[in-house]
Amino acid sequence: MTAEAAVAGGWIEDFRRASDEDAEIQAHGRYYSCAFLLDMEEHSYLVSMHAGKLEEILEDPGPLDERYQFVIRASAETWRNFAQDPPPPMYHGLFAASFRTDMSLEGDLLVLMQNLRCVVRQMELLRVTGVPV
Amino acid sequence: MAHLSPVTGRYVTIDVMGDECKVFFLENGQGQPLVCQHTAGCHNHQWRELLEDEEITKDYRVIAYDLVRHGKSDPPKNREWWKEEYRLTADYYTAFIVAFCDALELEDPIFMGSSFGGQVALQLALRHPDRFKAVIPVEAADYSPGFFLDWWQHPHANAAQVCASGVWDLMAPQSPDKDRWATWFYYTQGSEAFRGDLYFYSVDHDLRGRLEEIDGEKCPIVIMNAEYDYLTNPEEGQTTAEQIKGAEFIEMKAIGHFPMSENYPVFKEYLQQALQIIDGRAGAPVGGAQQGTQGREQQGEEDKGLLDRAKEKLT
Repeated sequence: MTAEAAVAGGWIEDFRRASDEDAEIQAHGRYYSCAFLLDMEEHSYLVSMHAGKLEEILEDPGPLDERYQFVIRASAETWRNFAQDPPPPMYHGLFAASFRTDMSLEGDLLVLMQNLRCVVRQMELLRVTGVPV
Repeated sequence: MAHLSPVTGRYVTIDVMGDECKVFFLENGQGQPLVCQHTAGCHNHQWRELLEDEEITKDYRVIAYDLVRHGKSDPPKNREWWKEEYRLTADYYTAFIVAFCDALELEDPIFMGSSFGGQVALQLALRHPDRFKAVIPVEAADYSPGFFLDWWQHPHANAAQVCASGVWDLMAPQSPDKDRWATWFYYTQGSEAFRGDLYFYSVDHDLRGRLEEIDGEKCPIVIMNAEYDYLTNPEEGQTTAEQIKGAEFIEMKAIGHFPMSENYPVFKEYLQQALQIIDGRAGAPVGGAQQGTQGREQQGEEDKGLLDRAKEKLT
């Protein structure tokens, strides 16, 4: 395992724990079931949620590995700013960063909207775990 | 003994372009009327802390109404509103506010609104500069495209949560959780009005190229935009102010698009600066057209001095 992979492996576990133990997601995520890709430029992570629990995270998935419904894509620098606590203005949320930085929301946005409350909260947990880029 | 708030709520029925509107408003205080407009898809509880702030209400009669179709102000009583798509226009919105102020016989009220309330404050300064002592557009700009979206009402998603979590990061992460969540809670209640409100906010409100028609010397204007507002950021607020004769601009730090609701103590400091500027202007000469360029420059210097003095006093 490379040092880089170890860092990412540690992040995956940290993020899984933060999400599965988060009071807000567990209180409101009974129907939070979907899969999405976090594209962080240097790496990407396919996150699969089931009933509010983090089922799996695939690092740098291959082109046909698994399906997902939407993508949150941004440069590594944007994700690093997003994960600061407190984040600088315009890096403080998915909508803010999508309107004002290079972050983009792609794919089936209806699925994002159906799960918006939990996704918004889950992305804020990156300020606890940091980002693996 | 009951812990009663000094804030009282009443209804007043007004005519707005033929619509019979029974309007709910909260008020407290005495003196200079300060009329407060909530943000799109929301209601007057956003002003809850201002309404109970004795330091303000000892000198100001704070009045926060629910716009028709919001909070406890029902849709027009004399129209089959359910057969139409709701789209708020600048004509209707300004007519509502003037009719409300007329009904309460408010003399020289100061109008303050945030977001789509900030945008209508600019519209009032353009259309009715004689009816208001001053306006305080909060989170305002000449134009704010991009938010008239079908997502706010999409039948395949939970509209309450889309609206509330969709505006979540209009607030600053530094604002207290309890106040951000109270604001989130309000936003779960107004999804049917939110989209139609945003027709005004992102489409019908367009003052690009028209700001020079506003006379900020006749009707003083203090625009205040917040650092974490991604829709109308401080730079856009300042650019707007610079194009309005006699307008002032204040940047609010570490706060967002719902400042009065998400972090009132921080907002209050900036509001007091704005009110001091307006107080200072009340004694200043008006009639910019007669002053000429030099007069306006002198006025601008005086205003800058007022802003500095207000800041010094408050820090």
